[in-house]
Amino acid sequence: MFYFEKRQQTPGYLKALIPIISLLLGLFIGALAILITGINPLLVYKGLFLNAFGSWYAFSETLVAAVPLILITSGLIVVFRMNVWNIGAYGQYIMGAIFSSYFALFASNGLSKPVMLTVMVIASMVGGAIWALIPTLLKIFWEVNEVITTLLLNYIALYILKFLMYGPWKNPSSYGFPLSKTFPDTAILPIIFKGTRLTIAIIFALLAVLVVWFLIKKSKFGYEVRVIGDNPLAARYAGISVNRNIIIGMAISGALAGLAGMTEVSGIVHYLQVKIGADYGYTSIIVAWIAYLDPLITVLASVLFGGLASGGYSIQITMRVSYGIVGLIESITLFSLVGAQIFLNYRIRWKNGSS
Amino acid sequence: MAHHSIYIVLFANTVKAGTILLFPTIGEIFAERAGILNLGVEGMMLIGAFVGFVVAYTTKNPYMGFLAGVLAGGFASLIHAFISITLRGNQIVSGLALTIFGGGFTTFYGQKWINMTLTHTLTPVKIPMLSSIPYIGMIFFNQDLIVYLSYIVVFVMWFILYKTRLGLNLRAVGENAKAANAMGISVYKVRYGWTFFGGLLAGAGGAYLTTAYAPFWLDGITAGRGWIAIALVIFAMWDPVKALVGAYLFGGINALQFQLQATGTTIPSAILNMLPYIGTFIVIIISSIIVKTRHIKPPKELGIPYIREEK
Amino acid sequence: MDEVILETRNITKVFPETIANKDISFKLRKGEIHALLGENGAGKTTLMNILYGIYLPTSGDILIKGKKVIIKNPLDAIRLGIGMIHQHFMLVDTLTVLENIILGLKEYGFVIDKKAVKKRLKEIENLYSLKVEPDVKVWQTAVGEQQKIEIIKVLFRGADILILDEPTAVLTPQETQSLFKILRKMKEDGKSIIFITHKLEEVMQIADTITVLRKGRLIKTLPKSETTKSQLAELMVGKTQTLDFSRKRPKSNEEILKIENLTVHSDKSLKSLKGVSLSVFKGEILGIAGISGNGQKELVQTVVGLKKAVQGKVVFNGIDITNKPPRYIAQAGINYIPADRLAMGVAPNLSTIDNAIMRRYYRFPLSKRGIMNYRKALAYTMMMAKAYKIKLDNPFAPIKLLSGGNMQKLILAREILENPKLLIASYPTRGLDIASTQFFRQKLIDIANKGKTIILVSEDLDEVLSLSDRIAVMYEGRIVGILNAKEADKNRLGLMMAGVKT
Repeated sequence: MFYFEKRQQTPGYLKALIPIISLLLGLFIGALAILITGINPLLVYKGLFLNAFGSWYAFSETLVAAVPLILITSGLIVVFRMNVWNIGAYGQYIMGAIFSSYFALFASNGLSKPVMLTVMVIASMVGGAIWALIPTLLKIFWEVNEVITTLLLNYIALYILKFLMYGPWKNPSSYGFPLSKTFPDTAILPIIFKGTRLTIAIIFALLAVLVVWFLIKKSKFGYEVRVIGDNPLAARYAGISVNRNIIIGMAISGALAGLAGMTEVSGIVHYLQVKIGADYGYTSIIVAWIAYLDPLITVLASVLFGGLASGGYSIQITMRVSYGIVGLIESITLFSLVGAQIFLNYRIRWKNGSS
Repeated sequence: MAHHSIYIVLFANTVKAGTILLFPTIGEIFAERAGILNLGVEGMMLIGAFVGFVVAYTTKNPYMGFLAGVLAGGFASLIHAFISITLRGNQIVSGLALTIFGGGFTTFYGQKWINMTLTHTLTPVKIPMLSSIPYIGMIFFNQDLIVYLSYIVVFVMWFILYKTRLGLNLRAVGENAKAANAMGISVYKVRYGWTFFGGLLAGAGGAYLTTAYAPFWLDGITAGRGWIAIALVIFAMWDPVKALVGAYLFGGINALQFQLQATGTTIPSAILNMLPYIGTFIVIIISSIIVKTRHIKPPKELGIPYIREEK
Repeated sequence: MDEVILETRNITKVFPETIANKDISFKLRKGEIHALLGENGAGKTTLMNILYGIYLPTSGDILIKGKKVIIKNPLDAIRLGIGMIHQHFMLVDTLTVLENIILGLKEYGFVIDKKAVKKRLKEIENLYSLKVEPDVKVWQTAVGEQQKIEIIKVLFRGADILILDEPTAVLTPQETQSLFKILRKMKEDGKSIIFITHKLEEVMQIADTITVLRKGRLIKTLPKSETTKSQLAELMVGKTQTLDFSRKRPKSNEEILKIENLTVHSDKSLKSLKGVSLSVFKGEILGIAGISGNGQKELVQTVVGLKKAVQGKVVFNGIDITNKPPRYIAQAGINYIPADRLAMGVAPNLSTIDNAIMRRYYRFPLSKRGIMNYRKALAYTMMMAKAYKIKLDNPFAPIKLLSGGNMQKLILAREILENPKLLIASYPTRGLDIASTQFFRQKLIDIANKGKTIILVSEDLDEVLSLSDRIAVMYEGRIVGILNAKEADKNRLGLMMAGVKT
């Protein structure tokens, strides 16, 4: 039998090795899954890689997917560090998209582009923050489990979006498709690299990372977050207001997810529709974990998983391999990451039955 | 009479729709009672639904399909069991990974099954005598065998939980694992066993969905029912009999929504489809307030890995 | 009487970085009470956990009735007839007494046969006069009751070797005597008992044979008839060292803290403080004695703002601080050393620096306009370590790697450096070795001599008696009496702690 023995010190290489091995394990199991269907996994992975990193355009598409991941994950890091489980980034993202779309669709008259975009950015952040604060307040006042409420609010947000798209906000000339009118030009984020879909949203994302990094590493708020995350009782004892910090953290988290929703409709789609980035909310949880809740590593991890998402979409079209493979690879990677955390604090020892 | 029959159909459908939720809710109650929070119910249900559908389709036998779905759910839960029990990983994240896994797995392999329909589904079997009770008989005793199985499961699990050694060991492990271990109970075995049981029942809920209630395959067919089941665990306050009430309540919302859609209502379908989630949202708030004010506590060890002392 | 029922041969247990037991060989004879004496950290509990299958020894053998055995888990121990009563009771709160007693037993059927259990309970009651209410939930029972449940549990498993780990820590002196009566009865019935303690007086009362452990090694085994308390004390501690707590006792009638009719609810909505009134005078050390769980925690935590009062008033230095937030109260001049270091006193996985600055991180120079200055934080921590002789290898390493004594010193330093007017110390020396304990007691005396006021909550009567000026005794959520330390003695305190009016 084996057993675990506590380590006094975690070897540094292990921290770097675990995410890499986890990702490789995800890819390996994914390969087996593909093999069962009779397709050569190496060809699929080659396609995946080329569609993610093989050319400047492919890489730019990867970055397009990485932007919302960076935005959402930066926010999640703040609350995950306090052991508050915001699983509702998807709903907050949708609310951000809806709130900003409202101004693009119905209040764009006479506003210049910078003003319009500023209004949309603020609206999206407010929308996302409101959607995140509902479960937060329920948690604080009545101890309602935030995992379940944030998750349910994802579904509720999705059906609000559907209601709008099939009903009041529907584009009358969309031939029955559930989408809104196209935004006016003033409501569209400017592209920064010609020939790609990369907008100034990438600057929002990097700014978000820097702000969160500063908050966590340098600010008083970051110190309080650390204490709360490790021992909420000690935090109370030290006079830290746990609730206040959770509210601030969730507001940041919701606002950044909302902003991600805005960058999607205003930067990529240019109208509101039912299908907007459904997976970012969940993928960002994996990104946060693989980055050890560190904002700077998040950028790298987001590019990696952005590539997986972007490449996954491409091969679904070009090679007819289901996008489900991305979920499989992601989930195995996450399983492996969570399972492997034990090796940071323990090492495996083998013992024969007798001694 | 015709007027009455609408309600009977509605209530009979309530029981059917409720059964889909009842199995996973009971399963999760027992896993949580052992101290294991498994947020992968949605994923396990999807896997159960998919495997159940495929096996029922290929064997043309819905019972075989159901059984296969049950087992598939059980096997899926073992991943979570291994990570959260043996490797002491974070149960919240591992459960979410299981949900993502279920989605990925069924989307990937389900691609070619989309929109296929079962030719052989579970059919009602009247129970003699009982089915002739006015109203009640038509609602509860003119159902398929799996519904009857769910009645038995509720009763048997209630009995096991409160009256037997098995249930005692379970409650002890979920409330104070260290004390249970000191009394010679293997915390690991109890946890593995009940997490597996939770997986079997989640699989059962999913498989019942595709072999009886909605006998076709769609991507993401469980549509969040796994999360509703997890919320129902709190509503039920970790009690199998209360789970029955909760499951039928939400089965009722489902059945009503279906009936309204079928009769052509003016309410937009997005709003109708939102109902179960709004309902769950409200119910989880109310139950949480009740749990808090009445000082009913979730199992104390819920979500906490058990670490046997360093040997 | 001479038959050896249990023997250990050269048991050694090595944990990463510490050797908890080294070459321990001792023999337990049938029908004897064998005391295992040693101070905290001497390795007693580790050794017993090895006998009960919670730890595996690194090397060495265990023999039962002369036969070599391997005890891999508690189940093996139970099968071999070993029963253990842990220092922290192994009871499941939410289960009934009966359910706790038969937990893990197979004899009473798959469907539990309650009648058979109750019949057996009756037999035990008749034999040892151990009476419990079988259908009550454990959380509703008192601590003394819970120990009875633990003893019955062991008897139900037919154990003939009993291990009791510090069983009197939670008992009043009177309850202790009734426990001893039960133990003697068991001895007469041929059971063998290992009694772990650090209390010399109890050893002299109950033990037949005494084995002294110190720093993980077996120092000596000797029959009680051939030893004395002072010899045992010397064996236990090494060189004996008496400390003179020279205390200037300033007389003052200035009331620094006034508590009026304070009522607090516990987590289960039961009243855990029932209208407590208390005055603390400037410059005194007020001891609060009582078996833990009688409201001391609630009293103290309500004063420092961690629990809400449902009724009553707390006035400090003329300011009403009832139900004010913890930081407000700390800034008003009350600091607090919590009872459980790891649960509340520190954030165990954070660095020593992060823990050292917990009381002042929000003030200049440690932070300014919301931005931390970690260079200043490091300097502050190093100053603290130097002034209080805290052994600190790496201030950036998680604080949980520090020893209990060092961690407690850091907490003490952190609180004292805030220059409080009133310091509340809950069980400050619990679990510390003798040297650290002495350090702590001396520190408390020193700061009281400088005119600070101290509330000392402790269940160690020797500590309370030697340090306090006045002693308040708590029982079931009330203060049942306040004595001047000079007129108090252990017996009187013990009776008050048990709710007996004196």
